[in-house]
Amino acid sequence: MSGHDSKYFTTTKKGEIHELKEELNSQFKDKKKDAVKKVIAAMTVGKDVSMLFTDVVNCMQTENLELKKLVYLYLINYAKSQPDLAILAVNTFVKDSQDPNPLIRALAVRTMGCIRVDKITEYLCDPLQKCLKDDDPYVRKTAAICVAKLFDINPELVEDRGFLETLKDLISDSNPMVVANAVAALSEIQESTTKLIFDLNSNVLFKLLAALNECTEWGQVFILDSLSRYKAKDARDAESIVERVTPRLQHANCAVVLSSVKVIMQQLELITSTDVVRNLMKKMAPPLVTLLSAEPEIQYVALRNINLIVQKRPTILAHEIKVFFCKYNDPIYVKLEKLEIMIKLASDRNIDQVLLEFKEYATEVDVDFVRKAVRAIGRCAIKLERAAERCINVLLDLIKIKVNYVVQEAIIVIKDIFRRYPNTYESIIATLCESLDTLDEPEAKASMIWIIGEYADRIDNADELLESFLETFPEEPAQVQLQLLTAAVKLFLKKPTEGPQQMIQVVLNNATQETDNPDLRDRAYVYWRLLSTDPEAAKDVVLAEKPVISDDSNQLDPSLLDELLGNISTLSSVYHKPPEVFVSRTKVVPLRDEEELEVESGPEESSGPAPPVQGLPTPTGLPKPAPVNDLLGDLMGLDVNSDGGPAPASPAARTAPPKPILLQASAAQGLQISGQMVRKNGQIFYDLTFDNQGTVPLDGFMIQFNKNTFGLAAGSPLQLPTIAPGSSAATELPMIPLQNLPPPGTPLAATLQVAVKNNQQPVWYFADKLPLQAVFLEDGRIERGQFLETWKSLPDSNEVLKELKDTVIPNVDILLEKLNASNAFFIARRLLKETNQDVLYLSVKLPPNLPLLVELTFAVGDPGVKVAVKTSSTEYAPLFFDAIDELIKSI
Amino acid sequence: MISQFFVLSPRGDTIISRDYRGDVPRGTAEIFFRQVKFWKGGQEDAPPVFNIDGVNYLHVKVNGLLFVATTRANVSPALILELLQRIARIIKDYCGILSEDSMRKNFVLVYELLDEIIDMGYAQSTSTESLKAYVFNEPIQLDVQKLPNLGAASIFMNPGKRVPGTAVTKSVVSNDPSGKKREEVFVDIIERVSVTFNASGYIQNSEIDGTIQMKSYLSGTPEIRLALNEDLAIGKEFGGTGDLGMVLLDDCNFHESVRLDSFDVDRTLVLAPPDGEFPVMNYRMTQEFKPPFRVFPHVEEAGPFKAEVVVRVRGEFPSNSVANNVVVRIPLPKGTQRVSCEQEPGAVGQSTDFKEATKLVEWTVKKFPGNSEHVLRVKLTLAQERNANLKKETGPINMTFTIPMYNASRLQVRYLQILKKSKAYNPYRWVRYVTHANSYVTRL
Repeated sequence: MSGHDSKYFTTTKKGEIHELKEELNSQFKDKKKDAVKKVIAAMTVGKDVSMLFTDVVNCMQTENLELKKLVYLYLINYAKSQPDLAILAVNTFVKDSQDPNPLIRALAVRTMGCIRVDKITEYLCDPLQKCLKDDDPYVRKTAAICVAKLFDINPELVEDRGFLETLKDLISDSNPMVVANAVAALSEIQESTTKLIFDLNSNVLFKLLAALNECTEWGQVFILDSLSRYKAKDARDAESIVERVTPRLQHANCAVVLSSVKVIMQQLELITSTDVVRNLMKKMAPPLVTLLSAEPEIQYVALRNINLIVQKRPTILAHEIKVFFCKYNDPIYVKLEKLEIMIKLASDRNIDQVLLEFKEYATEVDVDFVRKAVRAIGRCAIKLERAAERCINVLLDLIKIKVNYVVQEAIIVIKDIFRRYPNTYESIIATLCESLDTLDEPEAKASMIWIIGEYADRIDNADELLESFLETFPEEPAQVQLQLLTAAVKLFLKKPTEGPQQMIQVVLNNATQETDNPDLRDRAYVYWRLLSTDPEAAKDVVLAEKPVISDDSNQLDPSLLDELLGNISTLSSVYHKPPEVFVSRTKVVPLRDEEELEVESGPEESSGPAPPVQGLPTPTGLPKPAPVNDLLGDLMGLDVNSDGGPAPASPAARTAPPKPILLQASAAQGLQISGQMVRKNGQIFYDLTFDNQGTVPLDGFMIQFNKNTFGLAAGSPLQLPTIAPGSSAATELPMIPLQNLPPPGTPLAATLQVAVKNNQQPVWYFADKLPLQAVFLEDGRIERGQFLETWKSLPDSNEVLKELKDTVIPNVDILLEKLNASNAFFIARRLLKETNQDVLYLSVKLPPNLPLLVELTFAVGDPGVKVAVKTSSTEYAPLFFDAIDELIKSI
Repeated sequence: MISQFFVLSPRGDTIISRDYRGDVPRGTAEIFFRQVKFWKGGQEDAPPVFNIDGVNYLHVKVNGLLFVATTRANVSPALILELLQRIARIIKDYCGILSEDSMRKNFVLVYELLDEIIDMGYAQSTSTESLKAYVFNEPIQLDVQKLPNLGAASIFMNPGKRVPGTAVTKSVVSNDPSGKKREEVFVDIIERVSVTFNASGYIQNSEIDGTIQMKSYLSGTPEIRLALNEDLAIGKEFGGTGDLGMVLLDDCNFHESVRLDSFDVDRTLVLAPPDGEFPVMNYRMTQEFKPPFRVFPHVEEAGPFKAEVVVRVRGEFPSNSVANNVVVRIPLPKGTQRVSCEQEPGAVGQSTDFKEATKLVEWTVKKFPGNSEHVLRVKLTLAQERNANLKKETGPINMTFTIPMYNASRLQVRYLQILKKSKAYNPYRWVRYVTHANSYVTRL
């Protein structure tokens, strides 16, 4: 060979293609080969050389393997765009698959499988059949993988030709490479179908264990990963598997080690003998630690997995905390993971050592890492009661260095420590206050203000301190404003003197009149009313003892943890997310006609009974009766005028089940209001019943709604007659969406806050649940094709899942009827034969024009419904989960 | 299973790109590079595994090149990252050196290799030895003359983790231009030492990560017997602190070609080394050992705006060894405005550099013989009147160095025996030791 291949990249002039064409048809082999190389070079840099297809394919019939491989490389790339021409190559492929040279046979089968053209696959079957039984293991192992390739293109063909059976036979092949590839192919096929293809019975298990020792390292991983699907019969079965797998922990390949750990961790669950368990944990610890000597990329994967393992079995690395100390040259992603594990392993025994480390980290250069280190000290304080004081001392040392972001981070964690150990460490407040004016981050400011408010009675100049923040109240971020408000109230309640009284006035005025933030305003009103009606109650509420906190940051839910442990050494264990959250479903089994169930859409009335009503979300929010008239002016806005309006209350004669009670008679001087949101004929109505259990007739009813997620507002004035004592009246108030929207950026809330007044009584406030199903639009039905397309076009990050654990679907037809009536439209249904589960696809549309794509997975009659929602605005998902849950429960 | 594989240059150019499954759209190389380049605003290294729009990206960095795989499935990330490392090593075995240039020159060969290494995204054959039977392109070697000087010292320049440690830059498959293949085998004992000294000078944490690396150019893969220290103990249950002169490893693992039949008896490893470079054995040790260097820092205050940081470094390894490229990095207080470095009188081969942005003094000593000592005085002027925490704001000091023909663990190859019948057969055997600093930190 002459010269360097890089020269092939240099020809970029015009007549290039023509020149290449000539060279490809040259009679000199070397020239031909050079030309093909040039073509490949052009191909790899993204130039289109597909017009040379015929000329390149003509070079295929050659004895020269090097040239043949180059042509194949070209073919794989362009066959798809030239399917008709690709057929030209078939003859050579078929001929090659019978070549005496095993390399050529394998090459032919491998390449044919990569050409994803339907027409070619038919010709592939015969050669594949032969190659699966070839004498040469290299050919067999290539053919094994080729079955998976073919299955991906045409699963029926694979089944019809019995390739699956042949593939299963290959598990017993004499050559371990062949076994490994057969296992890989079967596992992949199993994953893309719901049929049971790769049954892991004890016979197969035995074969896999036997092949394990002989295989290449990659084959060992395939086999171990398959083994992890095996459910051992009993403790003895589990022990015998573990015994065979344990030697793999000594492998130099980290993937083999981690996959072995997965198998062992799983079988450990079944092993009952504590001695065996202890012994196994002892054996696993050194190899796990050794993973941290690998390249940083692999260390990262190992650390994410170790994080899970120590949550489940904290003792395994309890004595190894030193190996998780950060090295100065660790990449940041490794350092942050080590920090997490250090916190998890911190104990009374090693905390001094750990604190020394954290303190060092807190003076490093990387700001993000420093912050996390400071936070880690606080988390240890919360976790280890006996070490709390030492942690605080370290934090105080750090504050003294006066590095701004360290100070702020320290104050944030000290606030948590104060919550965890109330009335224990106030002595340090003076030190904290020294840094007051350097705070410029909202979270740090808010934390400091919380501390001042909480200990207002112990800080002599608490009022001065708070006042210094007040000057900038309107400019502060919401987080700080809320804390200032609460702290001012606490101060006033603890020191009801003149200074604080003036301050509270200023704060309340600011928070009610000068703000657009509904949270702040609502909280201010609540405080205001509490203070003006019953200061003692205010004390009970505002100064109530708070529940003890614990460090649960980064602690996983036990059921999620178990699921992730089953996925050790997979991406799932690195992301700490279950696979279905991020694995894309490009291979959703096509919906089969015979499995579908179409339901006619009927314009029936929806009358969902009784969604449970929730009270106001905050404990401080329960309103007490008090005549605070100025609030009415503010909240009611006074544009709803009831005078002179005719009041034909709609008849309450409907035989609907009792509506949930929204306002209790006992709390509202005898006025009881019950009601719920319903959707009828494309309109939303608030179906309300007013029951006067008091002693005076009530009239002049008005209603107003606070800004809410869907901007629901009354479509007409509330039309009610005078209600005599002992009687009731009902009305259906039309509601119009998108009228009363909160400022952009306000988080979604499922509550609807309502104010009602009449001529005789003060304003009553209550909160109703905002049922998402009431705003499902009538035109939410979409075509199946469009559904699939939309589903595919949305990234997976837009899919949100939830399992409704206790929800049961007794009957699919009734459900569909119900859903249809509620504007949740049926798209398709399929059956998962293996698990006997149903999958329903639905579409829903929210105003103004937001489609939600829905997938329900469940077994009829069994509790547990998996709901997946895919939409461009996933923040609606939680509301939707509640809505669908209610809809299902209402059938 | 891998959907796509690509190699990107440090600038983001695609050098090699291969699609194995067709289930991930094109354009992922650009998406990947943008993510990595601007991870957290370009402030941080991107983690080796992340997911963008349903596509998982896994990558490793080798010699500045990015080896990347994409996939949609819930694969074993450790497998893919190991495989990416392995691909890099195989390409190095074939091409002699791993660089953008060598890969561009050998792109046809690389594609041919990739076809054998991965099929439909599944790892197949990854030993250079077995690949030889299926790969036909001849490597084109870069002109070694043009490479930077490859003197004895540079053999040990590789600061990588377990990756290739030898600097033999000839391909394991190509024939020598002279037509005669030189029979030789290299065994390198490469140790990476991590030590953290606390402010009082005591060792707070220490660790050795070691690898016995082999690169064989022997024809006919003869069996090799490699004998280690007889007093080698493995696992903590052996107890003891090693004061009996034992070499106590915490844990070790072995390449799959190694037979351990007599390892428990006389600490010998038997293997038929496949062609190419591979780790025979990896080991880890936390037993106490003598650190090769000690650093004695001292901060002196010299007036309200002035201070002096004196750093004394002692080499505590035998005087017949010489450490190369010793770099001592001294972070100074943030308020440092001006710096002047004063080397000891008669200093040769030393240089200092003050990095204004990070307030870091880098002190380089080209040759640092064992059992000797060097001092540097750094005089600094502060922007503001110093506060009491000057010492806290200085450091921690970290060091990098390479000491050829020295290893801290005392693990040794007693002999390297090539089991071949013919008496005339006597290939070259090279056993080399080298110690690198991994994380070598002195706190103040």
